[in-house]
Amino acid sequence: MAAATGSAAVKTAKSCKKYRTVKRHAGIYTYQESWAVSNSDDDVSEEKAESHDPEQIFQNIQYQKEIMANIRCRPWPMRQKLRVLRQAKEIVLKYEGRLTRTRGYQAAGAELWRKFIRLAYNFVVIFIPWEMRIKKIESHFGSGVASYFIFLRWLFGINIVLTIMTGAFVVLPELLAGAPFGSTVSKTIPKEHADSAQALDTIWSLGGYLQYSVLFYGYYGRDRKIGKAGYRLPLAYFLVGMAVFAYSFIILLKKMAKNSRMSLASASDENYTFCWRLFCAWDYLIGNPEAAESKAAAIVNSIREAILEEQEKKKSKNLYAISLRIIANILVLLSLAGSIYIIYFVVDRSQRLERTKKELTLWEKNEVSVVVSLITMIAPSAFELVAALEMYHPRTTLRFQLARVLVLYLGNLYSLIIALLDKVDSMSVTVSVNNNASNSTTFLANKTLSKDDNLSTTIPGVQITKNGVVTSEESRTQGFMVPDSLVNKTVSVNTQKPQDQCWETYVGQEMLKLSIIDMIFTVASILLIDFFRGLCVRYLSDCWCWDLESKFPEYGEFKIAENVLHLVYNQGMIWMGAFFSPCLPAFNVLKLIGLMYLRSWAVLTCNVPHQQVFRASRSNNFYLAMLLFMLFLCMLPTIFAIARYKPSSSCGPFSGQDKIYDIVYETIKSDFPTWFNTVITYISSPVVVLPALLLLFMLIYYLQSIARSLKFTNNQLRMKIQTERTEDKKKVIQMAAARIQNLDGTDKRPEQESDIISQESSVWSSTPRKNGSVLNFESPVSKGTRIQTISQSVPQTVPSTDVARPVKATPTSTSLTPAPSVSSVQKPRNDRISNRYQSILHGSVSELCKTKPYTPVTFKKHSEDVRSEPLFRKGIRQVNLDALGAGAPVFVGRRPHATRYFLVNETESRKKSLRSTSQLQRHLRKDESGDIIELYPRNVRRYVVRTPQQMYSPNPSEDEEDDEELGREFINGSYRPRSLSDLRPAPRFYIGEHADGHVLMSKDLARVHYKSWNDGFDLDLDRPPYAYRKVHLSYHEPCVKPKPKQKLEQSLTESDSISIESSSDPQNSGNDQYIQVIHSKEKYPKPGTKLTKKKSKNSVDLNMPEPNELVCSNV
Amino acid sequence: MGNKQTVFTAEQLDAYQDNPFRQRIAEVFSADGDGNMTLDDFLDMFSVLSEMAPRDLKAYYAFKIYDFNNDDYICKSDLEKTVNKLTRNELTPEEVRLVCEKVIYEADADNDGKLSLEDFQRMIVRAPDFLSTFHIRI
Repeated sequence: MAAATGSAAVKTAKSCKKYRTVKRHAGIYTYQESWAVSNSDDDVSEEKAESHDPEQIFQNIQYQKEIMANIRCRPWPMRQKLRVLRQAKEIVLKYEGRLTRTRGYQAAGAELWRKFIRLAYNFVVIFIPWEMRIKKIESHFGSGVASYFIFLRWLFGINIVLTIMTGAFVVLPELLAGAPFGSTVSKTIPKEHADSAQALDTIWSLGGYLQYSVLFYGYYGRDRKIGKAGYRLPLAYFLVGMAVFAYSFIILLKKMAKNSRMSLASASDENYTFCWRLFCAWDYLIGNPEAAESKAAAIVNSIREAILEEQEKKKSKNLYAISLRIIANILVLLSLAGSIYIIYFVVDRSQRLERTKKELTLWEKNEVSVVVSLITMIAPSAFELVAALEMYHPRTTLRFQLARVLVLYLGNLYSLIIALLDKVDSMSVTVSVNNNASNSTTFLANKTLSKDDNLSTTIPGVQITKNGVVTSEESRTQGFMVPDSLVNKTVSVNTQKPQDQCWETYVGQEMLKLSIIDMIFTVASILLIDFFRGLCVRYLSDCWCWDLESKFPEYGEFKIAENVLHLVYNQGMIWMGAFFSPCLPAFNVLKLIGLMYLRSWAVLTCNVPHQQVFRASRSNNFYLAMLLFMLFLCMLPTIFAIARYKPSSSCGPFSGQDKIYDIVYETIKSDFPTWFNTVITYISSPVVVLPALLLLFMLIYYLQSIARSLKFTNNQLRMKIQTERTEDKKKVIQMAAARIQNLDGTDKRPEQESDIISQESSVWSSTPRKNGSVLNFESPVSKGTRIQTISQSVPQTVPSTDVARPVKATPTSTSLTPAPSVSSVQKPRNDRISNRYQSILHGSVSELCKTKPYTPVTFKKHSEDVRSEPLFRKGIRQVNLDALGAGAPVFVGRRPHATRYFLVNETESRKKSLRSTSQLQRHLRKDESGDIIELYPRNVRRYVVRTPQQMYSPNPSEDEEDDEELGREFINGSYRPRSLSDLRPAPRFYIGEHADGHVLMSKDLARVHYKSWNDGFDLDLDRPPYAYRKVHLSYHEPCVKPKPKQKLEQSLTESDSISIESSSDPQNSGNDQYIQVIHSKEKYPKPGTKLTKKKSKNSVDLNMPEPNELVCSNV
Repeated sequence: MGNKQTVFTAEQLDAYQDNPFRQRIAEVFSADGDGNMTLDDFLDMFSVLSEMAPRDLKAYYAFKIYDFNNDDYICKSDLEKTVNKLTRNELTPEEVRLVCEKVIYEADADNDGKLSLEDFQRMIVRAPDFLSTFHIRI
């Protein structure tokens, strides 16, 4: 029998724990709380019907609206959701008009607006591009591959916005209102080029008509205002150029922030490798047999891998592997350096060629971009081969690979842009020289000495040629090198028109060219590497000497990481060139569309699902971080060029200015009122700028320090959890040992256990049982925090205690020994379920009703354990103190405490919605008078249920062991009195004892709790008490019946409002009369809560022990 | 939920036949527990598995899905089933046992030898790709 009850008790204990943890987490899982609130829907509606206070109605309506808003978050069946929703809507409709007319209108308007939004959303969804395509890919390849396409789509969206920005504010105005083509020098094709302007060759290299079009910077006019409306094109050009960067930054950061919020800061030291590999392994998006198979294989791999890693966590690295890795890294570095050198070399060569050769071949013109694209295509594969040498873990390999490829891309872009800027440098220098020459025909001043010799010759040459303007740097350089051929050269060079010297256009051309070539190579690589390879493998494998499909070439896998990097790289090019070629984003949009279709087609037709799992969501922010990095790095050269170089004098919107950004000053100076001008000058003066900078730095420092401290506290909390867990485990082991003893032994054993436990508890607390007050001191902080929560609920507690008592009476009367245990065994299940998923159960009223009748036994426990919170504990502790010295009366007092606290807790949970709490009160009172359990709202019911168990437990220990253990522990003390008063008073004693057992337990709990009040601890601690109870359950109870009722009555009357002093007095005097004593004790905790809600508690606690002791002495 | 589609093609429905937990999902969401779903159940299922469902709701139902014997705990037998379904019985019993032990060791905060809903939630909300994989797009 004992064993059976024991197991039952254990079960209930567990369920209690669960429940409590749920409560704890309530902050995190907000929806759970909302469940709890929502459970009382019916009550709320009742209340509404009664109340006419507009404020209350308003609150109700808000509450109902909240329900409506959160209904999606509740794990209810759909039918119930619909019902509740309908109900809530009705209520809102019914009462909203009552408040004020405007509010009603507002509500109606809001409703309409919501409907409209929903409609619009549904409509918009239709236009989400490629949704079906992506879904199809998802189902075939899982979320990893799909994340690439989603990323692609997102980039597409960004580019659309960029295109609109540049198109609407720069390109369109220029086309509509700007000077027409051919009207100015910068907008006409030079005559020498006119013939070849339409040649494919020229077009291909973006010369000819393309060069003199809105595609490039050079085409835009320099008029400050164009059109009738006076559109300030140059200003707009500059601002849009900056806005492109600003927008990209903002949108990226926003997205990243959102992502990181979604991913709930996964702490790296949380170790859930196996869990995640198991529970998060299956990709529910997969809906394709092949993909499912490969996914299963991947899961097997990953699990095996995890097992292996676990088994040999520290693999000794042999020298061989290390040397291989060193070699591999050297290789990678070499190839990186090589690629950078090649690019630089190619750019340099192309410049030289341009200088020396008049007619460039197609190859020579495109050499740069082709080489760059080739490198970007080939090098990653090379890196992959190298990585095979290293024999890293696949994940590490992937990381290395990504880092290397990123470095490669960046190196490529940077070497290219540096080479370009180099050229720009020389161009702008010569341009300036030329300007001087044309103005004063003396460009001696600018030239170096060495050039002087040549000047005389060059100048005539220049003048001979058509335009009086000498252009390129070639004239100069050749002047150095080959003075003899100078004339010829200059002649040839001079055929170029001034607008050729537009370095901005040149840069734009290069970037656009690069982008185009990159696109071509992408297409080529997709076709070659994926499509034709797939074709070969598919059709040649039959007539080949080995299995092509499974051995060497295989089918291509979709390499998410590299493809994403490629997208990032591509976007980087766009950002880099967007300022110089306003149509670049538009081009990129087209490119992305093409890429989307081609890639998705290629993936679906020629690729196989990848074996290596690349975590999608984790990579999401990873992609974005790379993109952000890229954006920053791509912005630098552009900003540098804008700030460093003089805009070309003969073309572009900024020609004639010293710096590009001068346009802003100019506009401010000339187009704004003078006061604004002065304000700007003030603001831009060091007097303002420096302090502002300082302020910013201070702000950054401040925020950073806050972040650091938060991190620190985070770590500390985590440490606490960890320690709790470990201590928890210790505790569990002890408990297990105790339980074993328990099972073996007979009646006596349990008591010993209890002793052990109590000893343990004493160990935990520096000052053992006698001074409860000490305990309180130990954890003042925790009290303070918790007390707050309790304060609101206090009023309700009184009625609740009353309610609890009647309940007690019922169980005792019904079943003496065996029955309760049985019931407890069966019921706990139901209870547990109900507790945990309150919302569900409560939602369906019928279920609730069912559970009620059974529950009494189990519920109490649950509630106690689950809810034990600081307040209650305190109360309990005090009781303990009393118990040490005191006889029966004290114990009686405890009882009530225990019951009480459940109630309070309940209310706490409810606190959020004041209405609900108020309801509670009402119901409770009803109960008091009527003793009808069923009428109560669900919360109340729970409370009621709990008490009975406690009753049972105390008795058994008393009978046998009273004498033996007196000296040892207060528990023993408590037993004694009972033995004395077996017949009548016995019940009280039980209660008291019972309370003691409880108290002890609770003490332990409380202490542990205080040390670190995290979830883990409390759970384990809860157990011990149960073990007790189990054992005890069978013995006692017979006497309990009569008492409880009396108590109830008294408590009802007295409990309402009694100050501490008053309560203490009755105690002292009332030793004889158990009942009175009881009341007083009950009151102790209450007054504390009521009178001094938050801070005074400590003091109250201190006071408490004293009266208790007094009582003891009396006894 | 993406582009609207009012009718499921047989092909599309077939597409979800590969989920190792399909039977279990149907059971969890069906009112009778046998996998026979009413329209409401069906709606329930998709509201939970949609992209817009909150994380905690998903975690709650994920727990129910993995709790094969409906005892509100994920115990060893549940875990073994999960592993076997996921890996299509390719792991040796020894490996399966090891994995189960590990999982319980990692996630069982209260040391009762099985995973409660709270254990599970605590673990799953920290998983980086739970949200991205625990949904169905239709």
